[in-house]
Amino acid sequence: MITLGEAVKSFELVKVYHSKEKVEALKGVNISVDKGELFTLLGPNGAGKTTFLRIISTQLMPSGGDAEVLGHSVLKEPEEVRKHITVVPQDVATYNNFTPWEYGYYFARLRGMSVSEAKQASEKALKAVDLWELKNRMCQTLSGGERRRAIIASALSSNADVLMLDEPTSGLDAVARRGVWSTLRDMVEEGKTILLTTHMMEEAEMVSDRLAIINKGDVIATGRLDEIKALIQEKYRVVVEGKFERLSDYGEVAKLGDRNIVYVKTQDEALELLKNTLKMNVRAEASPVTLEDVFVKLVGGINNHEPH
Amino acid sequence: MNLTKILKDMMIIAWIKSYPDFRRNPLMLLLIAMIGAIPLFFMLLFSGGGMLIHGLIGAMISSVAFIGVMAGIQDISWDRYVKIREMIVAMPVHPASYALGIALAPLLLSIPSMIFFGALLASWGVLTLSTTVWMAIALIVAWAAMSAIGFMISTYLLKTSMMVLNNLSNLLGIGLIFIPPVYYPETMLGSLSWISALIPTSNVAGLIRAYMGLLPLSAETILTRWLILIVTTVLFVVLTSVKAKWRET
Repeated sequence: MITLGEAVKSFELVKVYHSKEKVEALKGVNISVDKGELFTLLGPNGAGKTTFLRIISTQLMPSGGDAEVLGHSVLKEPEEVRKHITVVPQDVATYNNFTPWEYGYYFARLRGMSVSEAKQASEKALKAVDLWELKNRMCQTLSGGERRRAIIASALSSNADVLMLDEPTSGLDAVARRGVWSTLRDMVEEGKTILLTTHMMEEAEMVSDRLAIINKGDVIATGRLDEIKALIQEKYRVVVEGKFERLSDYGEVAKLGDRNIVYVKTQDEALELLKNTLKMNVRAEASPVTLEDVFVKLVGGINNHEPH
Repeated sequence: MNLTKILKDMMIIAWIKSYPDFRRNPLMLLLIAMIGAIPLFFMLLFSGGGMLIHGLIGAMISSVAFIGVMAGIQDISWDRYVKIREMIVAMPVHPASYALGIALAPLLLSIPSMIFFGALLASWGVLTLSTTVWMAIALIVAWAAMSAIGFMISTYLLKTSMMVLNNLSNLLGIGLIFIPPVYYPETMLGSLSWISALIPTSNVAGLIRAYMGLLPLSAETILTRWLILIVTTVLFVVLTSVKAKWRET
């Protein structure tokens, strides 16, 4: 893969919150995002994703370390950084009296565009998120997905080089989510760099060029999807429904109520298990491991119990 | 960042904050006027109109002050819910543009009611060009003082719930507009009339009455009261600036 250089790079980024107790939100995070790629920060709630994004977007001061956006330090040159970025915060509600068009237009104006430039940028952004037909509707009359796309349009209208989106599809249904993903991939096609946070595996799998898994303030894995999946030895998962003896003889077992997921290293091992379950008239299904399997294993969440 | 960009962004933010309400929620304009006008009804009922001219001055001040103190609450709402502040922090926008824009929006919304009450005052024959200019300046300073108080509340009570903040700002609005001598002349307080100089709203009311010839204040007293007004406004601005953080730490 040819890279165009780094868009975002963090150096031992540390953030400690001192509230009732000391909380280490980031413990020396090093992440590098290439220009023109969609990089996903994947992690459970409270992993430090939003903290990282807020530091990179100059909203929050780090406790240690530094980061650069297009070569500008977030500590020393925040005003330079702000010229190149745009942010969609987490759980953002729309300003209900606004129309999608106004979202795009006014945010473009705040970035210094002239009236005609802002009009063009707003139109382009709304067409990109498929909201042009609804441009004059007040946000309070739009669906959840349309509102979210209106906010994303405000970010797109900025024409910034680096887009930072904090869980942009959180709370959206599958159709609306796919609409947002499609928009994001289109932006990457146009050469934009996108830094996205999510706790949804499917989202990370579908949209990312590269991703980092973050847990409890530490980056525990970085790379392309295939590279991340290669971090664990098990390549297949067999979901066994119902009672089946000695599953742990085949591989690592994750128990989900009356179902078990058995992780095996080779296709032959998966077929062997399938054959044996078939003999016992137990329903089973094999498939390659998913990002979720890798994620759960890396963050130490797989339970290894033999069914009783 | 140059001054032109700061002022332009201020106007855009003020417009964002006021234009949708102007266009789509015109009842809000009526509400702003009504809040100021309600005491006038009772003054008309109980004083037979004799105090109405003082009441109209109070209504003018109420128009800018009551929603001025709400500016800070608007800031919190923008910060916590629509998160526009968070998005603006990450933009090439100066914090002064944001704060002034947020504070300016209520002033724009209060223009229709000020024109209405101003027209009533003019029909009374107490407005000359010079009194109109002084009144406008005094009202702008009242707006600045009350907005600074609003921002001070939102800055120092950043973690407080919206409900508490809303109630607090309403109580402050009532406490600073309806209780001190804003709708009535400070001479009615007798020996305690000096208190009115300490509260920005009643101080402004006293100054406007003095310019209209409704309150006998010497030139030295007027100057002193301007100084007190400016110092109290600056004090609130400084107290807010010391604590406020554009970029969280």
